[in-house]
Amino acid sequence: MNKILFLLIIFSTISFSQESNSAKSLNLFSPQNIKKFADYLFCQHDYIRASIEYEDFLKSGYNDTAAFKVGMANLEMGNFSIASKKFSNISKISVFYNISKLEYLRANFRTGNFNYYRNLYESENLNRDYKYFFEARELYNFSYLFSDITLPQKKNFLSSFTKEEQPRLNQFYDWKINPPYKNPVTAALLSTVIPGLGKIYTQNYSDGIFAFITVGLLGYLAYSDFHANHNFRGWLFSALGAGFYGGNIYGSAASAQIYNAKISFQFFNDLKNYLEDHNYFVPLINFCK
Amino acid sequence: MENKFNALIFSLLIIFLFPFAIFAQSENSKWGKADYSYQMPDKFEHRDYNFKEKNPGRFILKSFLNAYWYFISDVDGDNCSFDPTCSHFFLLSVKETNIVQGSLMFFDRFTRDMDIFGKINRYPFSSNGHYYDPPSLYMLKKDSIKYIPPSIIVKNE
Amino acid sequence: MKSIFFILIFFAIGPEIFSQGVLEKQFNYAKKLYNEENYFDSITEFKRLLFFDSTGKYKYTADNYIGDAYKAGSKFSNAIIYYTLAEINAQNFNDLFKAKINIIRVNILRRTTNRALQLLDSLNNDRRFLSEKKEIYYWKGWTYIFADEWHKASETFALTDSNKTLQELCEKVDKEKYSVIFAQIISHFIPGSGQFYTGNYLSGILSLAWNGLWGYLAVKAFIDNRIFDGFMITNFLWLRFYNGNLQNSKNFTEEKNLKIVNKALKYLQYDYVGAKP
Repeated sequence: MNKILFLLIIFSTISFSQESNSAKSLNLFSPQNIKKFADYLFCQHDYIRASIEYEDFLKSGYNDTAAFKVGMANLEMGNFSIASKKFSNISKISVFYNISKLEYLRANFRTGNFNYYRNLYESENLNRDYKYFFEARELYNFSYLFSDITLPQKKNFLSSFTKEEQPRLNQFYDWKINPPYKNPVTAALLSTVIPGLGKIYTQNYSDGIFAFITVGLLGYLAYSDFHANHNFRGWLFSALGAGFYGGNIYGSAASAQIYNAKISFQFFNDLKNYLEDHNYFVPLINFCK
Repeated sequence: MENKFNALIFSLLIIFLFPFAIFAQSENSKWGKADYSYQMPDKFEHRDYNFKEKNPGRFILKSFLNAYWYFISDVDGDNCSFDPTCSHFFLLSVKETNIVQGSLMFFDRFTRDMDIFGKINRYPFSSNGHYYDPPSLYMLKKDSIKYIPPSIIVKNE
Repeated sequence: MKSIFFILIFFAIGPEIFSQGVLEKQFNYAKKLYNEENYFDSITEFKRLLFFDSTGKYKYTADNYIGDAYKAGSKFSNAIIYYTLAEINAQNFNDLFKAKINIIRVNILRRTTNRALQLLDSLNNDRRFLSEKKEIYYWKGWTYIFADEWHKASETFALTDSNKTLQELCEKVDKEKYSVIFAQIISHFIPGSGQFYTGNYLSGILSLAWNGLWGYLAVKAFIDNRIFDGFMITNFLWLRFYNGNLQNSKNFTEEKNLKIVNKALKYLQYDYVGAKP
């Protein structure tokens, strides 16, 4: 009987402790279980839900991993301003402090407000002791290519990039200093001399040829009608010819402006593709191995 | 036999499921019940024949355009490869600038319409399949130029 | 001895019973959110249930509810993913069939009707679902409605025997619709006749007048041996208005048909009482 009682006490103690553990795990909304679920959602790329769960978890007490992951979730969703705020709140004593600073700067870069981003970078006063100094400095110098302000000295600019990257950055720098724009006045003047030439200058070749043919044909029709004493037709074709001639001069100037907008667009696209291809924004920590 | 069959179905479904996962709609914010409709969208363009122009010069211009649209343009079919059409482009150009500049923009637009070779490499597409070419690109104001690369489909407002 | 035995059993399986109670509570909570149309949060709670449900007891039901919630938010691709997961986790043929039908319904709603028809055909050929023919035909009819094939929809509903309302509606729409081919054929012979057919009389008169005018001038130019003038009038004026007449006959017909079809679709969405996609 005593032996049975002894076994009973041992068994009930074990099962009660199991029950108390599983009682803890049975509460789906306990802080630990909220975090487990949030981690799962994060790795499933359900970032909005992960972010909401982590915020819920953080109400029970500060946790730097969760706070950092909220920032990362917002980054993945493209909420760069919110991500920036989350990263800036990471505690200085946290293991995530250094990487949060880098992600904070990256998030501000990605908002597209490059002047503000550069002010933030400069106010951080980063030095070589900072673990991600080179990554941060690369991005800082790169941001100049997106803005319309004076670029730093070429030597200083290129020195912040690796040797493999320097040739391409050199090309970007040269383009920025001296973009191959077309001059609208030149385009207009060329079309004044020969209808359509201004459009050919701005690389709208078929446009230029059709403009030349149209103005030429109308001019010829006007001349031949006047010659044949068909005065009404002569004036009609003259007026149309003058209209197309003036329109072509105007259109050549406009096409130069559009050409310049086009090559700027292509340049910024190349910059963005370069950043993506060279993994400038890839997360440095993989939480979901 | 059935277990093997189910395993085959399972693996085939996973193979087909994976591309669905790639194309799953991303959720970037909380959303609520959607109001989707069974009805088919109205893809037909409807002209704006209104006479609401305060400026007498523009009122006359709009009257002529309304008459042109009703008696000629709506009868001779869809001949302009652009969106907005040349006549509509003329109206918008005059509204944004003045009659002289608007006329020059129109003549240039007409010339570009005649170019049968270069359009596909130059203009983006509108949702109605025409080439998207708004007057804002041609007002000689750098800031109003929003360049869109060719072959992109622009969603009209 | 026996009592000790039962006490030991109780302590062994007690925690398991408690956890099942918690999951059921979570399921009911998620379902309540769904019923309140709080779809985003209901999906979160069903996902939470699935995460903690180690036995997989709720897999099919929760996946189905998640699919329903995504569908209600018109996130159709996500809905299909979860209905497909429900299909994988179906425990019996009834559940499997329901999951497959849900996928078909979402394909109908997003108008990927070819895919819906493919899936319906595979269901029709599946011997496991021989008893479900009427339901398969019912959804096939709906697929044809959304594919704008009202005649086929009417024929398909006739096979269900029971759905006279839908069969008659589809027949009515099919009869009311104008024939695009007929409008184009008559417009080839008499410019403007296609517009008359659809009731656009003024446009028809204008088309006839312009074609008449340019046709007369072109023929007169050729008769007077002004070949160049005749060619220019034919090519730049007469042909332009003739093609315009053909375009308009097609467009007006399609526009009129769109109004007829949308009226029927509006009725089906808001007034028809019965299973809908």
